[in-house]
Amino acid sequence: MTNLDHGKFSRVTTMFHSLLALTVFILFFTGYAIAFNTELWWLVELMGGNQGVLSIHRLAGFALIALTGFWVPYMLLRSASRSNFRSILPAPSDVTAFVQDVKFALGRADERHPAARQFAGYKADEVPLISYIGKGVIWIFTVELLLLMLSGLLIWRKTWLIDFYDSQSVVMAFVAFHGLLGVIMLMGVMFHTFEHGFHPAFYPVEMKAFLPKEHTPNFHGDPDDHETTGIERLRRKSSWRWATNVMGVLVVVGIVSVMMASLEYGGYPVPDSLVFDEGSVLRTIGINIGIFVLLVGLVLSVFGNVLRARYMRQRRERERPTERTPAADGSGSTRDDGPSEADD
Amino acid sequence: MTQDESSGQVMSQGVMSTGEGMRIFPDVEACIDCGGCVVACKRTWDREIDNQRIDITTMAEGVAGPQGENADKTGRLAAGENPGETSLPMQCYHCENAPCVSVCPTNALQKEDDGFVSVHEDLCVGCQYCLSGCPFGAPQFPDSNDGAAQIFGTGGIMDKCTGCRERQEVQKGPACAEECATDAILVGGAGEIADELEARDSQPFFNDEAMAIIFGEEDAQLFQ
Repeated sequence: MTNLDHGKFSRVTTMFHSLLALTVFILFFTGYAIAFNTELWWLVELMGGNQGVLSIHRLAGFALIALTGFWVPYMLLRSASRSNFRSILPAPSDVTAFVQDVKFALGRADERHPAARQFAGYKADEVPLISYIGKGVIWIFTVELLLLMLSGLLIWRKTWLIDFYDSQSVVMAFVAFHGLLGVIMLMGVMFHTFEHGFHPAFYPVEMKAFLPKEHTPNFHGDPDDHETTGIERLRRKSSWRWATNVMGVLVVVGIVSVMMASLEYGGYPVPDSLVFDEGSVLRTIGINIGIFVLLVGLVLSVFGNVLRARYMRQRRERERPTERTPAADGSGSTRDDGPSEADD
Repeated sequence: MTQDESSGQVMSQGVMSTGEGMRIFPDVEACIDCGGCVVACKRTWDREIDNQRIDITTMAEGVAGPQGENADKTGRLAAGENPGETSLPMQCYHCENAPCVSVCPTNALQKEDDGFVSVHEDLCVGCQYCLSGCPFGAPQFPDSNDGAAQIFGTGGIMDKCTGCRERQEVQKGPACAEECATDAILVGGAGEIADELEARDSQPFFNDEAMAIIFGEEDAQLFQ
């Protein structure tokens, strides 16, 4: 999470974020159609049928590896990105901020720690570029994706793995690890979708994730020149309250369902010896709700790109000089665009 | 029926009973690695040349047992001694606690009411988890070199020994067991197989863990 007064991604990272979302969602839809096959029988058919679903999963997995294989070195080689690297490294203040956040939630602290503040009208010089929650998201997703890619590659051809380790059990260990890590990531992405799509300042989507920094109207001059960050000019959409409540419930149900299913399921990803229960209607509904939340995330990701295109078009139209178009009778006519939505 | 001259015991043919509740189990003392079972299976089910629903694994090849080639392999194995060259018909044993059924994410592998473990082809996604779950090498992937399966490294549809279910439903034994010249593939109830091995003065080749998988905890006690 970035402060409202900061731009968020570079042009390349904006593109990477959208493509990452697309590949990760395809991986979820194909992977969990298989893992929760009893509940998501319909999704297998949609994702390539029983003979195609794994091919699509592996193609998306390879795309993810290629994508991150390009982006990570690019970020490390680009000086502007390297200079920001320090901002995402964990610091002692993050621990202090977390402890203070817990106290704040319990009513034992008057305010949130500066390293936990994201919006709330603080200026860029009053809060770090990224809060401890934002750092957490970056590092948790990085480690999860890395481990998922490695374990995914290892179980790509099981016969090789069996021959290499001279053991079949090691394959099941990697398979279970891959599946359970996927469940953890699934829960994280559901929360991430809710966090960035339903914050009152951003609802229905945090456009800064889709708009390169260079096009984000932000302020990096002398903060004393301005009283506020301009947050008071934001107006909440009327649908925010009910949409957030509904989505909040769906996210909680989705997260709890996939977690419970992973614990209760016989076989994959948890071995039969640890099984507690077998199928249920409630669990089927819950897991489908979880997949719906992911679908909302994918739709919001696409919608963010639509908003970016719309915003850029509006800016171009505002910056375009007034044109004189000769009419058919030879007289000149002036076409002037009215005020756009971006003026609001 | 044949007469075992050395012991005077009466031995059954390999197939003792068929249909519901049947078990398939190898007698390694009897197997001579002739390949008859492999040919019978291929011929009966018209399998491709590289798809073997039953295969004979030979261990300690060329190593003679202390009392000749076929002397008391399972007894020596149980005593922790070298059993010499041992051939083992490997196929699907339609396990009571089938690990393949347990690990299959799509329920393509199912333990049927009559005891057979069957593959539902319309549910199999070719993930090959059964390959890593089965201790006996039963799952085969004959389509793994075709089309998308070859490009993406998925297994295609899994294929394995069916226990000749259709044959058993009409009171015929599995093709491999019927064809076996030395009656090394035993088919029948757990009790019948245990009694037959005892009559032959033979023991199971597998350890206790594998026996519990194949026969279940309770029936595995019959072989103690």
